[in-house]
Amino acid sequence: MQSYIPIFLMIGVSAFLGIVFLVLQRFLGPHRPNPEKLSTYESGMPPVKSARERFSVKYYMVAVLFILFDIEVIFLYPWAVNFRALGLFGYVEMILFILILLVGYLYILKKGALQWD
Amino acid sequence: MNMYEIIFYFFAFITVASASVVVFSRNIIYAAFSLLFTFFGVAGIYVLLNADFLAITQLLIYVGGILVLLLFGVMLTTNTVNIDIKSGSMNVLAAASVVAALAGLLGGVFWTSDWFVSKQMGELPAQTTSKEIGTALITTHVLPFEIASVILLVAIVGAAMMARREGIKSQIPSSK
Amino acid sequence: MEFFSPTDLLGSSPILALGLFSLIALLVNAFLKNSAGMVFYVSAVGIFVAIGCSIYTFPMNATAFSDMLLVGGYASFFSVLFLVIALFSMFIAKPYLEREQYHYGEYYVLILLATIGMVMLASSADLITAFLGIEMMSVSFYVLAGYFRGKLSSNESALKYFLLGAFATGFLLYGIALIYGTTGTTNLLRIVTMYPQPFNDPLHIIGWGLILIGFGFKVAAVPFHMWVPDVYEGAPTPVTAFMSTGGKAAAFSVFLMTFSVPMSMRDERLMTVLAVLAAASMLLGNWFGLSQTNLKRMLAYSSIAHAGYMIIGIASATPMGQQGIAFYLVSYALTNLGAFGIIAMMEKENGGNLNYEDYAGLGKRKPALAALLAMFMFSLTGIPPFAGFIGKYYLFASAVQSHMTWLAIFGVITSLFSTYYYLRIIVYMYFKEATNHEEIKLPGLTFATVILCGAGIVLFGIVPSLIFDLMKSIF
Repeated sequence: MQSYIPIFLMIGVSAFLGIVFLVLQRFLGPHRPNPEKLSTYESGMPPVKSARERFSVKYYMVAVLFILFDIEVIFLYPWAVNFRALGLFGYVEMILFILILLVGYLYILKKGALQWD
Repeated sequence: MNMYEIIFYFFAFITVASASVVVFSRNIIYAAFSLLFTFFGVAGIYVLLNADFLAITQLLIYVGGILVLLLFGVMLTTNTVNIDIKSGSMNVLAAASVVAALAGLLGGVFWTSDWFVSKQMGELPAQTTSKEIGTALITTHVLPFEIASVILLVAIVGAAMMARREGIKSQIPSSK
Repeated sequence: MEFFSPTDLLGSSPILALGLFSLIALLVNAFLKNSAGMVFYVSAVGIFVAIGCSIYTFPMNATAFSDMLLVGGYASFFSVLFLVIALFSMFIAKPYLEREQYHYGEYYVLILLATIGMVMLASSADLITAFLGIEMMSVSFYVLAGYFRGKLSSNESALKYFLLGAFATGFLLYGIALIYGTTGTTNLLRIVTMYPQPFNDPLHIIGWGLILIGFGFKVAAVPFHMWVPDVYEGAPTPVTAFMSTGGKAAAFSVFLMTFSVPMSMRDERLMTVLAVLAAASMLLGNWFGLSQTNLKRMLAYSSIAHAGYMIIGIASATPMGQQGIAFYLVSYALTNLGAFGIIAMMEKENGGNLNYEDYAGLGKRKPALAALLAMFMFSLTGIPPFAGFIGKYYLFASAVQSHMTWLAIFGVITSLFSTYYYLRIIVYMYFKEATNHEEIKLPGLTFATVILCGAGIVLFGIVPSLIFDLMKSIF
């Protein structure tokens, strides 16, 4: 448990700071709203239409592929921690694991799933 | 109550409280963001159970990945055919009785069973579990390890097939 | 650190072969244009190689990968069954997909990947491999069910199957976790040895109960059957053929193997639960089957009822029941593949020609096709000399052997219900005038497969010892 103390400390400090800043700006900051300031993009272009539009399915594709390769990386982690102890056999196994996913990667690449247009 | 228990109840509270927001919130975006804290609380409990690798996995995959996908899912589907995505309450009585029965069952089981308790529970972990998991994955569990990569491959092929535009002969009216 | 032993490599050779060929097929599909036909041949070769590997390992009786995988006997028998099912369903699919202009290589790749999952299920000696096998098979099925991306019914089918399937997998996983929590192992062979006698640990009981829910969903037993009609109806017909035969057979192979652990004690409570599950499936499946007008839906309810018959074999917990299930799966697979093959040939675009009326007068229009369909319906009903009869006989006999005569009587009565809707199609084919005179095309590949299925059920119906001799060494 000892090794987690820095992490808990970190969580505590960041939560504390976040709350403190939110509370402080409420009391310290000036509060003088006008329509210009309240608009969505204060110094940008005026919005043309509602932002609540249907997103392209391409985003979904990217997100799914991200998760899948994210999981792949998770599998790499425990192997990398004791890479030396696992030796050649572990290395070959991991190469195999990655090769299988590489085929999947080549497939999506050739099928154009990663192309935006 | 020692430090261990205080931390446990802290994470348990976060998990349960945010999970109830997920269930009871009528706005799907609030529910999705509340799920972030549920995943986080569960990750904390994993740490307390000496399952540090699981905790990392929980953070990286669920908080970092699944939640993003969930939000994308909401953005992909809202306002397509002018259906509001809201979670209402239906069949409250039936659901409540099922939940009560299930809670009674699980509670009863919880009190009466002989738990297979690990000796190291509530103590300092000797070392991180990643090493042991890594060794197990390459030695005794090498088959599930390789098969996991094939399952990921299935998911890749499936996702690419589902989302691809080429060669679609649609019956489904487009949104506009 | 050691490399694999020869048993490991031999034991997993069907999986390795399928995996290798599915990767090759995927690469061919990615790098060559218009390669669907070539992917078909690559996949078929892969399946033949895997069949060879399975048959070669049949005499072995071992475990591989630190007791994760069963080798030989049981595993080989079921692997060959799944591989043949996969091959036949590919033969049914090719002309169908070409006609619907949906012929892509991914279809065969997904069939191969699903088959890897099935082979894992039959060979699993560990709950982890069982879970991975179920996942691999199910994920492929979800995608295959939604293969017609432009069709709403196909999308609906995929979505329903995915949502309910993922939910059921959750139950399965929870059950596995509880079993692991009480025994400290996920290995079936080790759970047997450390089984608390008699098992009264409530956590353990709930664990098995949750696993039962998961498997109940996968084999489509009442009350976990809600998804079946919509999914079977909406999925492309060759996919339904594959799901209803391969998926069911694989789920039963792992159900039987896993539940041989708690059933080894012949626990009365569990036997009763399974018997009630079987009775409910037979009753409701056949009852709802009566009112169907769509053939795919009718076969979906029939599939629920047949799950009920097969659960009798698990509930009875006798070698006779286990052999009965194995035989029944063979006959059911051949019969359903044949029936769906015929439906696939008869089907018109956009799900037309699927109702009873569309088969009116088929006896005159296509006598061979009508005769084959009649045979399949007789076999599903359980009329001799077809294989369906022998399977039912063994299952009902095993119930009597285990002092559950009521279950056997119940099975016979519900089979009588089913006679109505199975034979109704025969009445339409032979005793009604045709209303539809469009030409029916019989693609050679599908027709040959259907004939093979018909030959199979006659052969195994007349000489069941062909299969039972094999099974003496397994159970």
